[in-house]
Amino acid sequence: MALIEIENLEVVFGGGGRIVHALRGVSLSVEEGESFGLVGESGSGKSTVLRATCGLAPVTAGRILIDGIPVTTPRDPSFYRRVQMVFQDPYASLHPRHTIDRVLSEPLAIHGFDRREARVERALIDVGLGTGFRFRYPHQLSGGQRQRVAIARALILEPKVILLDEPTSALDASIQAEVLNLLDRLRAEHGLTYVLVSHDLAVVAHMCERLMVMQGGQVVEQLSREALQAHATTKDYTRNLLTASEGFTRAPAPQSRP
Amino acid sequence: MNPLLSVENLRISFPSRRGPVEVVRGVSFHLGRERLGIVGESGSGKSQTGRAILGLTPPSGRATADRLEFDGIDLRKASTAQWRQLRGARMSMVMQDPKYSLNPVMTIGKQLMEAVRIHGGKADARAKSLAMLEAVQIRDPERVMHAYPHELSGGMGQRAMIAMMLVTEPDLLIADEPTSALDVTVQIEVLRILDRLVSERGMGLIFISHDLELVSTFCDRVLVMYAGRVVEEIDAARLSEAEHPYTRGLLGCLPKIVGDQRPLPVLARDARWLE
Repeated sequence: MALIEIENLEVVFGGGGRIVHALRGVSLSVEEGESFGLVGESGSGKSTVLRATCGLAPVTAGRILIDGIPVTTPRDPSFYRRVQMVFQDPYASLHPRHTIDRVLSEPLAIHGFDRREARVERALIDVGLGTGFRFRYPHQLSGGQRQRVAIARALILEPKVILLDEPTSALDASIQAEVLNLLDRLRAEHGLTYVLVSHDLAVVAHMCERLMVMQGGQVVEQLSREALQAHATTKDYTRNLLTASEGFTRAPAPQSRP
Repeated sequence: MNPLLSVENLRISFPSRRGPVEVVRGVSFHLGRERLGIVGESGSGKSQTGRAILGLTPPSGRATADRLEFDGIDLRKASTAQWRQLRGARMSMVMQDPKYSLNPVMTIGKQLMEAVRIHGGKADARAKSLAMLEAVQIRDPERVMHAYPHELSGGMGQRAMIAMMLVTEPDLLIADEPTSALDVTVQIEVLRILDRLVSERGMGLIFISHDLELVSTFCDRVLVMYAGRVVEEIDAARLSEAEHPYTRGLLGCLPKIVGDQRPLPVLARDARWLE
């Protein structure tokens, strides 16, 4: 049985005259311990899949099952013990006036964990920051360090699943490598399951065994990492994405001159 | 042939509590009618270099250079009136984020036509603006003319801004991360537009980006900046043969679609690179 099962998920935003159909029947399943990637351009609905899963977007139709059990709306605390999310922008996702200690202690208090101090320190060491960062504020940290704090916050409840929404796209290339390595190591150490959203095919190819290409709220296709590497795709859209991500090409410029 | 732009020993400093901090420390280069890439990570001074060329260093900062010459004009001594004639008309800049660079309370059409009118061409401002929007691959230019910036997607907004900067047909365009906010497929389209302007109209282009691979496939020549200095200048096609450890490190730490190296090599910074 798959750990995450999403069946015919539909998400509709708005009402009255302005209805946006963000997801039109998306199905996927992720096994325990797997790392699954969602790729697509902006507006393809890839982030909406994550947001709908953790209750930040309305589920209009379809089902989401974790461990075979349908999720409740609103999600109950035990859901968040198992599923946590890391957001794209580390500058926006941490409270500017809370210390790192408070950021990390809050989920522990909400879920009634014991030994909070030890857990906060453990989480900081886990993400490679060290306990010296405990009483600092987000503005004293660099972008990469903040994203490490966001990962520590997700990790501190010992979840099984981490939903990663463009976790490195706000970071420099050298910092991105460090954070990707950290995510890789944490998955091995904690036996985590990842669902990773990215617009960068290379990041997804590096991080995920399987991936799904999305466009306009629909699934284009599902691929294994090997198939992606071998360009073994049947869909033009995926092929275009692959070509575009290999850099600029001068050849098929849309111009015809006598 | 004289270069279009010459920069020698450009230095930019900002005051801080611990005395002035130099963010650009002696950058020199020449630009012809070509595509020059400036690559570096955040804080390397690449954007400040681009701004200084247009005289847009923030008031608190101080930019000095031994030479800063655009088409025979000494930019260091340019008067306000001279700047007004240069900026927009002969040299312009595309910023990274259309959200912050377009006027939120003016329609795209009004902003575009304003640019055309100020730099001559009053009569056909509307026709010119529409043609320019079409040239940047906007499918429905009439609608976009009447739209406010918040009604457009990021890609559309960026294309509208590029249209605005190009409608005056400048000789030099400084593009500061013009495609970082865009999807890959849109990004390639926008680059094709810029590419055509360089090859057909002989515009000089400075392309500032953090994306080494993109720059190496798009530009003719690349300057790699680190901590306010140019650490390496190399032909884009030969980027893979780069010698400086920083350039090599940056290239190495990018994940690749093919090849499975894990953990990814990380960049070990060396204090000697600062010298």
